[in-house]
Amino acid sequence: MRRAWRRTSVRVLTLQAVALVLAFAVAGALASLSIRQISERAYRADVRGEVASLNDEWRHKGVGHLPFTVAKRSRLWHGFEYGLAGPGGAYLAGDARLAGLTRQGWTREAAATGLALAYTEPLPGGGWLTVGRDLSAEQRQMRDLAALLALCGAAGVAICLATAYLTTRWTWRRLDELSATAALVAAGRLDVRAPVQRAAAPDEIDDLSLALNAMLDRISRLVGQLRRVTTDVAHDMRRPMTRLRQKLERLARAAQATPLLAEEVRRLDAEFMEILHTFDALLQLAEIEGAAAPDALIDLTEVAGRVAEALRPDIEDSGRRLEARMERATVRGDTDLVAQALANLLENALRHTPAGARIELTVEENGGAPKLVVRDDGPGIAPDLRDLALAPLGRLEASRSTPGSGLGLAIASSVATWHGARLELADAGPGLQVSIAFPAARR
Amino acid sequence: MLPLPSLPGPALLRVLIIEDDVEAAGHMAGDLAACGIATEIIHDGARALEPGQGDGPFDVLIVDRMLPGRDGLSLLKALRARGVETPALFLTAMGAVADRVAGLQGGGDDYVVKPIDAEELAARVQALARRRSRPGTPETTTLACADLELDRLQRKVRRGGQTIALLPLEYRLLEVLLLSRGQPVTRKMLLEQVWGFRFDPRTNIVETHISRLRAKLGEAGGAPLIHTIRGAGYVIQDA
Repeated sequence: MRRAWRRTSVRVLTLQAVALVLAFAVAGALASLSIRQISERAYRADVRGEVASLNDEWRHKGVGHLPFTVAKRSRLWHGFEYGLAGPGGAYLAGDARLAGLTRQGWTREAAATGLALAYTEPLPGGGWLTVGRDLSAEQRQMRDLAALLALCGAAGVAICLATAYLTTRWTWRRLDELSATAALVAAGRLDVRAPVQRAAAPDEIDDLSLALNAMLDRISRLVGQLRRVTTDVAHDMRRPMTRLRQKLERLARAAQATPLLAEEVRRLDAEFMEILHTFDALLQLAEIEGAAAPDALIDLTEVAGRVAEALRPDIEDSGRRLEARMERATVRGDTDLVAQALANLLENALRHTPAGARIELTVEENGGAPKLVVRDDGPGIAPDLRDLALAPLGRLEASRSTPGSGLGLAIASSVATWHGARLELADAGPGLQVSIAFPAARR
Repeated sequence: MLPLPSLPGPALLRVLIIEDDVEAAGHMAGDLAACGIATEIIHDGARALEPGQGDGPFDVLIVDRMLPGRDGLSLLKALRARGVETPALFLTAMGAVADRVAGLQGGGDDYVVKPIDAEELAARVQALARRRSRPGTPETTTLACADLELDRLQRKVRRGGQTIALLPLEYRLLEVLLLSRGQPVTRKMLLEQVWGFRFDPRTNIVETHISRLRAKLGEAGGAPLIHTIRGAGYVIQDA
């Protein structure tokens, strides 16, 4: 329901329906007002005619005969009600209520047979004559009219909604397809394209699809180029780099006799390895970002355990402690990438904490939305520097002197994003807490 | 530093490289020749299916996945359907997880993403060839090297009759090395086979575990068995 309400067309439609109902209500009110006016004019003419006829009667036969005439006409009822009062308002004939009227002019009075439009005039020698026109028929008509108008309004709204639904449903479906395409692209599929109904005579949605597809073509061409360039660079650079490294090794062997030189060559070799690592990490970052979305169900606990045990000897040999607390959890993803991200986080903790630090790795099942957390009690990262720490090659001043490519956290973050997960840096008070919160698994 | 040991026996390994990049194929052939491996090169996927090519007397096939004529995956599937059992190594730029899975399910015995070091390629080719020449290896119950003995049924390790207590990962590491006795096993191969890692951690996981394993094996006395081949990896051998 709320999803439906978010659609623009549903809101527009609701507004239209409300406007339609209002229009019918106003039309009904105006119609009944004018009908009432017209019929009132007709009724007044009727009543005046009847009064004139009665006036003729008493002029001809005398006022004394009037009670008989009124009684007779009341009996032969043809839509009029009468009331006759003597001098001082005493009842003489006709309807008791109408006979009680003793002021000249028009009134609406409830007679015994129903509401009546009445005209009262004085009689010579005192007394009052009232003639009323029965209004119950008119009231019935007005009720019928109101019912008819309400029915028309309801039918109008129904027809309006039905046609709108039929026409917009098609549009919705096409827009849904567009959204689905965009979602697939966001998930890393650059090969999908939005459907186009009629490329020859495109409507506005087709125009949108065509524009989107043109954009996707361009993006995938650029990404393809980038990937080709990366691969080519990898091919072209890797070989001379490897050869250089082999030469360094040979040099190190040749320099064994001169310890100072040997030490220098070893340092060179170590620096060169750093370059190779950065290079590999950059390639890998590009690879992860271009990979298709995960679909396999993996055992997070097993992966975390494997990584923890792989790194434990190094962490312990360095005088730090590693504590692992794991609940059983599975996520949709890729074992290798999760292992790599976690290894990066643990290595980060190893590199940026003083000896004696405690590193804690936890896997929380968290009600189906598992969480990987690596916590240390080292110096941590100030809140305003956390974004920088996550950026590729973003190295903090404090860690410039320590080895590392500055890509470890970026790769972990990119792996998290690829899994639809969020990597967050927080204060472990003291220390750094890095958490990867996976989305709830689709079943 | 030890020279790269080649397979014992007079027979030279013969490898067929199916790779459309002429220069890359040439470099690869040169690298392998330096390790005592003879190579032939085909640049076209369709040609590899001709008689005497893909089904020829080769010890290992190195197959690129993106080939003109016929892509590497369908090429290997076709060869397997014909009963060609030659171990095959995919060497490709297609490094996505799905690509790897498809490659291994399509009949590949190993899947390596470019770029690859010469030593890495040679070690993997030799490992595949050995797996073929000694088909019983994975099921062998006792592995040995000099006076070191590994009982795969009881998961026990003895040296000179003395039992050595190993942690599960150390045991697995020794097992992988012994399965390739006399052959270099690279860091990457160890990371894959012992830890299941397809990435190279910055930390010296392999070195640390190897040195712990060496220390434990050394306690039982005798000459060191695990040797480092710089730039290539490790080898366990009686020398």
